[in-house]
Amino acid sequence: MAKEIYDAMAMKRALTRMTYEIIEKNKGIDGIVLVGIKTRGIYLAQRIASRLKQLEGANIPVGELDISLYRDDLTHEADNTKEPVVKKSNLGFNITDKHVILVDDVLFTGRTIRAALDALMDQGRPKTINLAVLVDRGHRELPIRADFVGKNIPTSLDEEIAVYVDEVDHKDGIELRDIPKK
Amino acid sequence: MKRYLILEDGTVYKGEAFGADCHTTGEVVFTTGMTGYQEAVTDQSFANQILVFTNPLIGNYGVNLDDYESLEPNCRGVVCREVARVADSWRKQDTFDNFLKNMGIPGIKGIDTRALTKKLRIHGTMKGSLIDPVNDMKHAFDQLHATVINDQVVAQVSTKHPYPNPGSKRNIVLVDFGAKHSILRELSKRDCNTIVVPYDTTAEQILALKPDGVMLSNGPGDPKDVPEAIKMVQEIEKHLPLFGICLGHQIFALANGADTYKMKFGHRGFNHPVREIATGRITFTSQNHGYAVKEDTVDTNELIITHKEVNDQTVEGLRHKRYPAFTVQFHPDAAPGPHDADDLFDDFMHMIDIRKEGQNA
Repeated sequence: MAKEIYDAMAMKRALTRMTYEIIEKNKGIDGIVLVGIKTRGIYLAQRIASRLKQLEGANIPVGELDISLYRDDLTHEADNTKEPVVKKSNLGFNITDKHVILVDDVLFTGRTIRAALDALMDQGRPKTINLAVLVDRGHRELPIRADFVGKNIPTSLDEEIAVYVDEVDHKDGIELRDIPKK
Repeated sequence: MKRYLILEDGTVYKGEAFGADCHTTGEVVFTTGMTGYQEAVTDQSFANQILVFTNPLIGNYGVNLDDYESLEPNCRGVVCREVARVADSWRKQDTFDNFLKNMGIPGIKGIDTRALTKKLRIHGTMKGSLIDPVNDMKHAFDQLHATVINDQVVAQVSTKHPYPNPGSKRNIVLVDFGAKHSILRELSKRDCNTIVVPYDTTAEQILALKPDGVMLSNGPGDPKDVPEAIKMVQEIEKHLPLFGICLGHQIFALANGADTYKMKFGHRGFNHPVREIATGRITFTSQNHGYAVKEDTVDTNELIITHKEVNDQTVEGLRHKRYPAFTVQFHPDAAPGPHDADDLFDDFMHMIDIRKEGQNA
């Protein structure tokens, strides 16, 4: 059974709060660039960028990383034999000496983020990389933590988190549901 | 019994007396809320003010013990078009008239509050008196002109001693500039262990209490009249998460180099639309303030303007760029008014939690 944990409004508020936290942590927006991961992270990054533009009047560049997974976006089958790999990165700007904010929808094992970090490092030498995720669901397999979290949702491995964004799913929200038994 | 409302500019309104039987002088202000008269009268932000209700019927649902915003209100008088002869509600415990008598607050009814409000909107708020009929009107006006309204109004309404509002979770210090009970209610709802301290508590004294966060309450009057609080905020914001409401917002602005000014007739009521800059979202808010932050004096290297009033573009929300501190001019605690913005308290809790997490990490 799916349970809606965040509705569209709560999701909006969480992103706004994360935007403020990003400004506070960086003491402004100088040198900030956003990099969204695969489908939904990109849209979340764009939303944060639009908030920063409203607040500070500056255009923050948003780059994209496409990381192919051993799973699709919504279902997860633990398969530790494969690692996520970077399929394609389209940053369109130089990240050297920038403060990179990596944006993803759900933080789970941390393996996607590790792949993203590798990809970023190949592109230059950023001053800092921070991680912003809408949901942290726990169960990390690598020493990775998020700097900006929309919501911590403790989960069991029998459950999955689905983040919906309007641009792809025609609705906003976060759902927690059981993985169907085979 | 007849009673007169006289204004600084020489206007005389004749009406009927109700409430307590005494003379009074204060700044005449109007509030636009349709309901919530009990909360308004007991709101300390109305200290030393005579309150005009623009809603034509007041008192129709009585008063009750739950809705007090302070126990010893300092509102100087109330002005109504009509006061309900019969009050009826399942929550009713007393009538408005009787309540005012007990509180020692005089009232006047049966005057044209629409004309009065228009006058206040055009000429700005002014001093006024509620008086019994007298032969010598000139003397009454002389007295009104001679009366100086106390500018140490925060000292007058703030608690004299610290007191606790127990809970079991986060430790909050609430600096009382005239705090409404609704702020404590919102903190209680989130199970905060709150200590309410007087307005002139120093930063060292607050830090010695080892709180997780500090709240600056609402309050009456000019924020520049409380320099000790401005000094306190300048120190506290460096150490602890901070959330300010109303007067607390203005004090936070002053502490960070911005300036404030007295508005012509202020924002009082609870239908004030406020735009959240980041998303463009509009919330309807409860407000009660006569002073505001000057937008062009806000140092954008230090502060972000997060909210603005839709009608007159007043600065309604600020946030510090380097410290975990944010303030709003409106009342997210509502009472009376819409609860649209009460999740700001949740944001404050979140702010406290992530700071704690960071310390433990």
